[in-house]
Amino acid sequence: MARRKKSSTQPSARSFDPGERVVAVTGAYSFVGGELIKRLEEDRRYYKVLAIDIRKPAFPLTKTQFHKVDLTLPTADAELSGILKREGVETFVHAAFLSAPTHNATWAHEFESIGTVHVLNACGEAKIRKFILWSSTVVYGAAPLNPNFLTEDAELRGHPRSRFINDKAEAERETARFAKENRDTTVTVLRTAPILGPRIRNYVTRFFARPACPTLMGYDPLMQFVHEDDAIDAFKLASDEDFAGAFNIVGDGVLPYSTILAMMGKVPLPVPHFVAYPLAQALWATQVFDSPPNFLDFLRYLCVADGSRAREVMGFRPHHDIKSAILDFLGVAAERHDLASEEGRA
Amino acid sequence: MSDHRVLGDNPFEPAPPAEPAAPAPPAAEQPPEPSKKVRSKPRAQPAAKARRPVPDIETEPLGAEAAPHPAADHPPPPEYGRTLDHEVRQEAARRGLVDEFRLVERWVRERIQPEPPAGERRRLPLEFLWRRWRDIAMRDRSDFVDEFGRDPMYAARVEPLIRFIYEKYFRVELEGCEHIPHVGRGLIVANHSGTVPYDGAMIMYAVRKEHGSHREVRPLVEDFVFHFPYLGTFINRIGGVRACQENAERLLLQDQLVAVFPEGIKGIGKLYRERYQLQRFGRGGFIKLALRTDSPIIPAAVVGAEEIHPMLTKVSWLAKSVGIPYIPITPTFPWLGPRGLVPRPTKWYLRFGEPLPFNTEYGARGAEDRILVNRLSEQVRSRIQEMVDERLSRRRSVLFG
Repeated sequence: MARRKKSSTQPSARSFDPGERVVAVTGAYSFVGGELIKRLEEDRRYYKVLAIDIRKPAFPLTKTQFHKVDLTLPTADAELSGILKREGVETFVHAAFLSAPTHNATWAHEFESIGTVHVLNACGEAKIRKFILWSSTVVYGAAPLNPNFLTEDAELRGHPRSRFINDKAEAERETARFAKENRDTTVTVLRTAPILGPRIRNYVTRFFARPACPTLMGYDPLMQFVHEDDAIDAFKLASDEDFAGAFNIVGDGVLPYSTILAMMGKVPLPVPHFVAYPLAQALWATQVFDSPPNFLDFLRYLCVADGSRAREVMGFRPHHDIKSAILDFLGVAAERHDLASEEGRA
Repeated sequence: MSDHRVLGDNPFEPAPPAEPAAPAPPAAEQPPEPSKKVRSKPRAQPAAKARRPVPDIETEPLGAEAAPHPAADHPPPPEYGRTLDHEVRQEAARRGLVDEFRLVERWVRERIQPEPPAGERRRLPLEFLWRRWRDIAMRDRSDFVDEFGRDPMYAARVEPLIRFIYEKYFRVELEGCEHIPHVGRGLIVANHSGTVPYDGAMIMYAVRKEHGSHREVRPLVEDFVFHFPYLGTFINRIGGVRACQENAERLLLQDQLVAVFPEGIKGIGKLYRERYQLQRFGRGGFIKLALRTDSPIIPAAVVGAEEIHPMLTKVSWLAKSVGIPYIPITPTFPWLGPRGLVPRPTKWYLRFGEPLPFNTEYGARGAEDRILVNRLSEQVRSRIQEMVDERLSRRRSVLFG
C-alpha cells in the first residue's frame, strides 16, 4: 500500500517537470495495450507514448504517436529498432498477443512467437532500459499434478497440443533468454490470470457469453480470474517502477467452476470426459465451437496461480475479488443484452 | 398504444389531454355505441352491430365519427387545477352513462397497471426465469470457498450424513483429543486403510465436534482419489486437499491442522490378512514437512477402519484402463454391484497420541539429513503401530468393540 501511495504522490512532488519517460506499447489496438496507453496519457511523468500496432487505436491520442509495424514481417525487427533508437524509448511493453485462439495456427505462431523474437531483437539492439511482457497463467498448463497454487518458479508446462498456449510459453522462454543476455535491462513478465470484465473481449468472455456451458462429468476444478482494471493497474505499476522477474497477476479468491456457472445463471451441460474431447475436436475442426479441445483440461484440472509475489514485491492490490469480477462482467452483460433487445425493437 | 392514457388522448389528435374533448353532437342523435363490457345494452340491435364494426376501445377515440372540431388546430390553453375526477365527471355528464362506464374502466385500469416510472432498468425477457434458475443453482452452495476449495455451505449440508456415520454407523470412540493444540499448526499422522478412505472424514469430524476449539483439520488426499470423478470433487468441497508438498506447506504456514496418511495408496490397498500392519511411510516427506514448517507431529491410531472392506485380493490389469490403481475384490464387491461398497459396520476407536516435538529437537536443518529423516519416520511409524496394537489387544469384537 505504501508503495502505491508513494507512486501516486510522486507526480505532484514534481508536477511542473514535464517528464522525460518515453514508453513504447505494442498491441495498441487491443484491450490491454490500448487501456495502458490511456493510463499513460494521463500520467505527467511520461513524455511520449509510442503506440505500435497494425491498426491505429480508436481513441483520441494526444501525446501518443502511432507507428504501424507488422510483427509478422521478417523486417519488423530492423524497422522497430530504428523507431526505438530515433525516439529514445526507455520502456517497452510487449502486449501484442492473441486474446483468443485462432484457427490460423501458422499466422498465430508467426505473430506471437516469432513476433516476440523480433521485438526482443529490436530491444536488444536499441538498448532498452526496461522490457515488460504480457503473459498468462495458462502457460503453466492445467495438469493433475499441479499444486493448488502455482508460484512463479513453477515449470512452464504449456500444453502439448495447444498452439495458443505454447506460443505464449515460447515467448516467455525467449524473454528469459533475453534477460540472461541483457543484464542491464530490467525484464518484467506479468502473467495475468484469465481476464474477466465488462469491456474486454477474449476467450473467457466469449465462453461465458453462451447461455449454456459444458462441464466434464465429475470434475469441478477451482478457477481464478483477474478483473480487467486490476490487470491494467499491474501494467501501469510495472512501468512506473522497476520490478525484475515474473509475477502472477491474479484476483483474490477462487471458486469452483460449477459455482461460477450458477452465479452467472448458465445452464451446465454435463458431458463425460471421454466423449467431450473427441466432440470438442470435431466442433473445433468444423469451426462451430471457438475453443480448441485442449481447453477442456482447464475444466478438468487445476490451474490457479499464487499472487503473493506481486503483492509483496510490486505492492499490487487487486480491487476486485473473483465474485465482484464475475458480477461486474455479468451486470454489464445483462445491460448489454437489454440494450441489444431495445435496438432490435426500434 | 395509448394503453395508459386517459380518454381522448389519441396520438393522432393534436389536442393535449387536459383539453376537454371536442363538443360532441347532441346525444339524442347519436346511436348508443355497442360495447362488449357494458352488459345492459348490447343485445338491442344486432343488425346495427353487423353494419358497423365494433370500435376498439383501446385505439379508437370516443366520438370518432363526429366531425373534427374547427378549433382543433389551435387548442385552447390548458386549464390548471383540474383533477382526473373532475375531468371524468365532466365528460361523463356530457356523454351519458355508457361513456361513463368506459371512463371508469380506463381510470381503474390505469390505477391497476400504472406506467413504469422513467429511468428504471427494463427487465430482460425471461429475466424472472433466469433469476429463479440462479437461485435454484446457488441453493446448496456458497459464493465463497476458501482457497483450497472447501465450501462451508456444502460442508454444512453433508454434515448430518457424516455425523450419522460417525455416531451411529461406526460408533467412533475418541481418546486423547487433548493432545491436539488449541492454536497453531500441527501435523496429524495416522494409519490409512479401508479401500474407501473414510478415516480422513472421521478425523475431520472428530476434531471439529469434540475438540474444545472445534478446529478444522485438512486431510491430504492421494492423487487418484482426488482426481476420481465426483468423489474427488466431493472430498474437495468438504475440506480435503490434494496431497503435495506445496499444499501441505501452505496450510501449515497458515497455522492450520493437517492430517496426513503416509502409507498412502499402499495403506488403502492393504489386503485383509495384512490388516493393522503399517506399511512403509513413503520417503519421509511428512518429517521434512514438519521440520521445515516447525510443526509438531501428532500420531493418531485408527482401529476398526481396516476391517470395513475385507479385501481378499485385488485386480490391477483391468484397473489401469479405468484409471484407478486396482479393483478390490471383497466378499461383497463386485458380486453385489454398488451395494457391495457399503462398508461393514465395525466399531471404531480413534486415538491421538502425545505430540512428538521433532521440530524443536532438530530444527529446520534436520530436513536435509536423509538418514535422520528416515529414522524419525520409522520412529513415528512404530509409535502409531504401538498405539494400534495396544488398542487391538483390548478389543474383543470387531463389530461391537
